[in-house]
Amino acid sequence: MKRTGFVYDERYLLHTTGEYHPESPERLKAIYKGLSDSGLLDKLVMIAPEKAGQQWIEAVHNIHYIMKFEETCIMGLPEFDHPDNAICRDTYEIALLAVGGVLKAIDAVMEGEVDNAFCAVRPPGHHAEVDKPMGFCYFNNVAIGARYLQKQHGIERVGIIDFDVHHGNGTQHIFDQDSSVFYYSVHEHPSFAYPGTGREFETGVAAGNGFTRNSPILPGRGDDEYRKVIMQDLVPAFKQFRPEVVLLSAGFDAHISDLMSGTNLTTEGYDFVTEVIVNLVDKFADGRVISVLEGGYNLDILPLLVENHIKMLAHMR
Amino acid sequence: MFVTERMATDLITIGPDLTIGEAKKIMSDNSIRHLPVVDEGEKLVGIVTDRDMRDAMPSTLKKKEDYEQTLSTIMNFQVKDIMTRDPLTIYPYFTIQDTLLVIQKKKVGALPVVDEEGYLKGILSTRDLLTAFVNVMGIDEPGSLLCILCEDKVGQLKKIVDIIADENICLGSILTAKSWSEEKRAIFPYLYTNNVINVKKRLLETGFELIDPMTWYLEQSPQKAD
Repeated sequence: MKRTGFVYDERYLLHTTGEYHPESPERLKAIYKGLSDSGLLDKLVMIAPEKAGQQWIEAVHNIHYIMKFEETCIMGLPEFDHPDNAICRDTYEIALLAVGGVLKAIDAVMEGEVDNAFCAVRPPGHHAEVDKPMGFCYFNNVAIGARYLQKQHGIERVGIIDFDVHHGNGTQHIFDQDSSVFYYSVHEHPSFAYPGTGREFETGVAAGNGFTRNSPILPGRGDDEYRKVIMQDLVPAFKQFRPEVVLLSAGFDAHISDLMSGTNLTTEGYDFVTEVIVNLVDKFADGRVISVLEGGYNLDILPLLVENHIKMLAHMR
Repeated sequence: MFVTERMATDLITIGPDLTIGEAKKIMSDNSIRHLPVVDEGEKLVGIVTDRDMRDAMPSTLKKKEDYEQTLSTIMNFQVKDIMTRDPLTIYPYFTIQDTLLVIQKKKVGALPVVDEEGYLKGILSTRDLLTAFVNVMGIDEPGSLLCILCEDKVGQLKKIVDIIADENICLGSILTAKSWSEEKRAIFPYLYTNNVINVKKRLLETGFELIDPMTWYLEQSPQKAD
């Protein structure tokens, strides 16, 4: 069994989004309760987050954007730039804490305290652009993590795998000219699902061409299509790129019972995705993987999917 | 939507006496495929396209010396020798819909827009029409597509739009299509949001059927006769 770290903090519940918003504190409550009821929590190494220092946020985001985000929260406005992005007065601080949780998990993995880690954080991050909040995301947790790995821990090649059902437009755009970060995403086809990017022909820009790979899934295709693209697109790309550390944008909203999408991935399909990733990481990245929660909105299935995912990371299954 | 909203107006034009060589250079320097030809009074007299240019070039199968010699002769001919005279034109009061149909019927790549005296006002290419289409579908902004099956009767669309408005969601576009079963219609709203859960729930509660767009597409495809 591996030592798997777990980032969680009750303060993550302080980012509230109004009564009917799917990206709610209940998501983390459900995950925490599920892991604690099943006894898995006791087998994980708890990692306490701290707020990320501003220099790390600035490694990805524009300073004016950071200030505007803080101001919008302080003023008590209900949304930031778009009704999707519901906020409260605490959102800015909690977003810093979400990034900080990822950075702490990275430290724990790099310093050998744990083999890998799962970060149960919110708000999520992969839609957040350099200077724009999108799709419930404000700071791009995973993108900042990648820069932190490079600048703080001297890692050259970072691999990012994004299996949230939505394309991680923010992460792709942040690294699309960069050949040191490989971004792979599997998601519902952009003609049907938010945010409308992530087509097969988006493969990176200039020096980064060839270091972005997208596998759009047409609605209703489910497990078979996921199996096909994971083996045909992800595996060869990562074999060639040989990332030293892998970050996951772990979204559980592709599940057949999640109304957010139509891709129809089953619980077994999710197991397959995690299993392939774990094998890849063991082979090429010395087992170093930090998995970061993105979407997943059906509270009845989310805890089980997260539990299965973590068990696979911990080599308990 | 009138063509004046979509046509290019920063026009590059040439006179009929310009040499083919000079016209060719103007086209490649500006990456354009259509050059309107105007007289001294700026009235449209013709159009020259990259196709006209290619037709005028010597065969590349010719021997090298032969080719170059013929080429240099051709380059010195004038535009009026190869241009389409009195080309098909449209007027500023034409709509995008008119133009789509004209282009589909006449198989041209661009249409000069002239006023009633024949003065050139702009040019509209198939690429401008594509941009207009992207804009009409609303897909230049992030959003999600729903696929709703409903009874084909008055008032259904209103119910759908009301639910979307209630959820405080902006609409990029709505397309509708006749469905495979006679009394049904498929409706495709493109919503400027990532947050589709509540609106989907409300639609289901109201009795609408949400369908998988792929299923719809496959059922609509021509079926093989058994």
